[in-house]
Amino acid sequence: MITAGAATLALGAGLWPGRLARRHGPALVGMAGITAAIVMSLLLWGERQDSLGGGLRADRFSLLLNILFLAAAAVTILLAWREPAAVDRRGEYVGLILISATGMMLVAGAGDLIMIFLGIEILSVALYVLCALEVWRERSLESGLKYLIVGSVGAAILLYGLTLLFGATGSIRLADIGRELEGTSFTGEPLVLAAMVLIAAGLAFKASAVPFHMWTPDVYEGAPTTVTAFMSTAVKAAALAAFLRVFSGVMPDLQDDWSVVIAVVAVASMAVGNIAALVQSNMKRLLAYSSIAQAGYLLIGVATGGIAGAEATLYYLLAYAAMTLAAFAVVIIREREVEDGDTVAALTGYGRARPVLGVVMTVAMLSLAGFPPLSGFVGKFLLFGSAVEADLTWLAIVGAVGSMISLGYYLRVVWVTWAPPLDGAARRTFAVPGPVGLATVGSAVAVIALTLLASPVLDACRGAAEALLAP
Amino acid sequence: MPWVSAIVLLPLVGALSLLAVPPGGAGAVQARIHALVAALGTLVLTVVLVVEFDQDVAGLQHIDHAGWAEQVGLSWDVGVDGISLWLIVLTSALFALGVGAACWRLPERPRGFLALLLLAETGLLGLFAAGHLVLFYVFWEAMLVPFFFLIAMWGGEGRRRATATFVIYTMVGSLLMLVAIIATAFVARDATGQFTFLIRDLEGVAFTDTQSTWLFLGFALAFAIKLPLWPFHAWLPRTYVAAPILVTALLGAVMSKAGVYGFIRVGLPVFPEGAHRLAVPLGALAVAGIVYGSLLAWRAPTMRLLVAYSSVAHLGFIALGIVAIDVQASQGAVLQMINHGVVVAALFGVVAVINRVAPDDRMDGLGGLAAGAPRLAGVFLIVAMASLAIPGSNSFAGEFLILTGVFRQHVWLAALACLGIAYAAVYMLRMYQTTMNGPVPGGADDGRRAELRGRDLAILLPLVAAMLVIALWPRGIVDATTRSIERAVAPAQVAAGRPADQIRATPAQNPPAEALPLPGDEAEVTP
Repeated sequence: MITAGAATLALGAGLWPGRLARRHGPALVGMAGITAAIVMSLLLWGERQDSLGGGLRADRFSLLLNILFLAAAAVTILLAWREPAAVDRRGEYVGLILISATGMMLVAGAGDLIMIFLGIEILSVALYVLCALEVWRERSLESGLKYLIVGSVGAAILLYGLTLLFGATGSIRLADIGRELEGTSFTGEPLVLAAMVLIAAGLAFKASAVPFHMWTPDVYEGAPTTVTAFMSTAVKAAALAAFLRVFSGVMPDLQDDWSVVIAVVAVASMAVGNIAALVQSNMKRLLAYSSIAQAGYLLIGVATGGIAGAEATLYYLLAYAAMTLAAFAVVIIREREVEDGDTVAALTGYGRARPVLGVVMTVAMLSLAGFPPLSGFVGKFLLFGSAVEADLTWLAIVGAVGSMISLGYYLRVVWVTWAPPLDGAARRTFAVPGPVGLATVGSAVAVIALTLLASPVLDACRGAAEALLAP
Repeated sequence: MPWVSAIVLLPLVGALSLLAVPPGGAGAVQARIHALVAALGTLVLTVVLVVEFDQDVAGLQHIDHAGWAEQVGLSWDVGVDGISLWLIVLTSALFALGVGAACWRLPERPRGFLALLLLAETGLLGLFAAGHLVLFYVFWEAMLVPFFFLIAMWGGEGRRRATATFVIYTMVGSLLMLVAIIATAFVARDATGQFTFLIRDLEGVAFTDTQSTWLFLGFALAFAIKLPLWPFHAWLPRTYVAAPILVTALLGAVMSKAGVYGFIRVGLPVFPEGAHRLAVPLGALAVAGIVYGSLLAWRAPTMRLLVAYSSVAHLGFIALGIVAIDVQASQGAVLQMINHGVVVAALFGVVAVINRVAPDDRMDGLGGLAAGAPRLAGVFLIVAMASLAIPGSNSFAGEFLILTGVFRQHVWLAALACLGIAYAAVYMLRMYQTTMNGPVPGGADDGRRAELRGRDLAILLPLVAAMLVIALWPRGIVDATTRSIERAVAPAQVAAGRPADQIRATPAQNPPAEALPLPGDEAEVTP
């Protein structure tokens, strides 16, 4: 409610007379709303509360993810301080980001099927608009349209699956469905099987997992970069949250049946994402393929099921959000300095010209590649560990092989960042606006902090995982 | 006093403190002070550690334990035993010399260079001190990052390919090692009922032969690449040639010991059956490396390549000593690790001096330097003799121990390995002869330019002194390692069915025979 309210206020603030108010008002309102919502989430921590007749619940699982969504939204708003798309339409921009975050929270806290679908739709509709926000740029419009079409197909498939699940079990409440499916198996229930496959496919669209990933590179490249950053972190987290809610949370007894399907999707995502990323020359496309591969790692945790798997997935989601936002932040800053700033080549020698940003990019890339002791390593360690524990050692080995391939492109970025600058290339650097710098450095600090504070963070993740599996 | 943690973390603190130094010329003096204080402080702490060390204790001493994320078994757990003690001494001493050399003639962007050197030192010290498998992995990988940047940003021609090959080769092995580490903990949990990554708790876990072999293989690949064992060595010559010479010296002298250390710290004690089963294949690879490295060193056109390939051969010797599963051979291997570290550092020191005359490292344009540079010729002769392990030199003791131990277990491997000694004489003497003796193609001036100056002597003389001390008194090192090596090798000796008179320690048993918990029992994790 707070976030939705803040979104409305931000939209209103965007219409305020006076240029200064119109520029900074919405962002300030939005940040205030986000802060309030985070504080509220922390206050609610520990108890479980149901509302809307059980359709929405606030347990540790949803609260932890809420904090993640809100933090990602905050970083996005800060990063968009000078974004061309956001400057003139600050009200719409902030409002839409917050509406999208509201949708994500509905997904994470969903207690019934309708809420899952509503949440996914709310978050998507806002993003369709955001993708096309740079109306003067053809690629941005194209990206919005593409995302709209693919997203609608995904939503339709998801809806179909949810309907079949309702048909098979006679209830829309997740708790009731869970009771209904207790002790059963897919083998005797073709309807449930079909429902599962369709739901997995629909959610895989949102998580950009293979083979439903085709849209990702184009949309990521075309959308305004701040929106891309938000999509690749928060939307993925929301999709994974839905995966965990529906599969681990509702039908733990059927794990033997669905874990293989998800494991296969995970393997395909890691393979396709990592191999395709090797040949990308555009940073946004590279990060898009990297995010497909990362979706594969995350799905390892879903496939292994149980508390350990959910805990690992949640921790890695936090780490992934921090490191991806840090990487995008540097791309965003560079993009404003030179015309083709979103190419890998544009980063040549950037570390020498801008050591702090170079370090941020390096930390992000090394963490994504899983170099210890950064949080990406701890996350992968947990994911592989949960897979080995669940007797899916082969999945862990595939993950390790995927990580090896990923070195090829993550290290290329690190190398380019610190290489000697190209001769004759104008090294244009602009002063980084305070909020953008804050968000950039903050993300990198979060990558490191998640390692140093692994113990309390893991406690929180474990609490969230337990809440997820509680009936 | 948490000695070991202090030793491991002091260089890291030094590296972080360098961030506070202003960049550019203004901070040059401060940067030197920060780096030297950190490196020398670490060395002083290490000396204290040597004094405090009790050589009658077989297991880890001075253990520091702290929580990190104990819910999933991660903790900070470091300590030393006889094997790691001398490697820690080697690391802190050579890095102190290295930082000193870097401070003497500051490279471009000195802050970054010195900070990365110190980070690499922390990585290596942490690796040698780690008593926890995941911590071992963390340091194993973390040390790659500073070396990556040192080579990529300060290296010479071909550095891009060199860094890529270096990091990808090493990571390929080690990511599989990560899975093997996790699998080890879970398999051990099923066998003993306790979930732990502590190496000393995993020693003596009753793995089945198949489990032991596969897990050992997972680790062995990473160790073999880092070592590097033939045919996993392709990264080494490229990296040694492209890196700045100071970094090459540290890579060859210290980092190359990580792989061997892994075999003796983790491989033999934790997976004795696997080690026994794979001992002969690994030994054969080591011998192939000895022969291959020696032959390539013989034909190497540049001094750096020669030293790089000779390293492949020497490291083959050390690896052979470990996989022979023999106390004496392992003692020789540990002694030889220290010897090789000192000798390679000195060799690269000499090469760096000769580089003043021949910046491209090629030997064919050189000759007759001895006439103008008698001091250099003298030092070089001592170092070259030590490298080819002439009787009376420090390397002789190590290679002798290795070969007698290996001879007892695998006659053929020992016989073939002896070829390496013969070849070593050929290539080392060739290098000495082509550079120092004969006609002087570059004129008499060349020799004078190559003569050792005060600062070269400051680096080289401590190394030569260390060689002489070890040559005269190898027992100083060997005695301190005896108990730890007996303990590390014993499980594998039992697995290999060696006669009882060779086995001088009782292998650890986990779970203890008198209190066998059932699989799945929740036992308390020992700190």
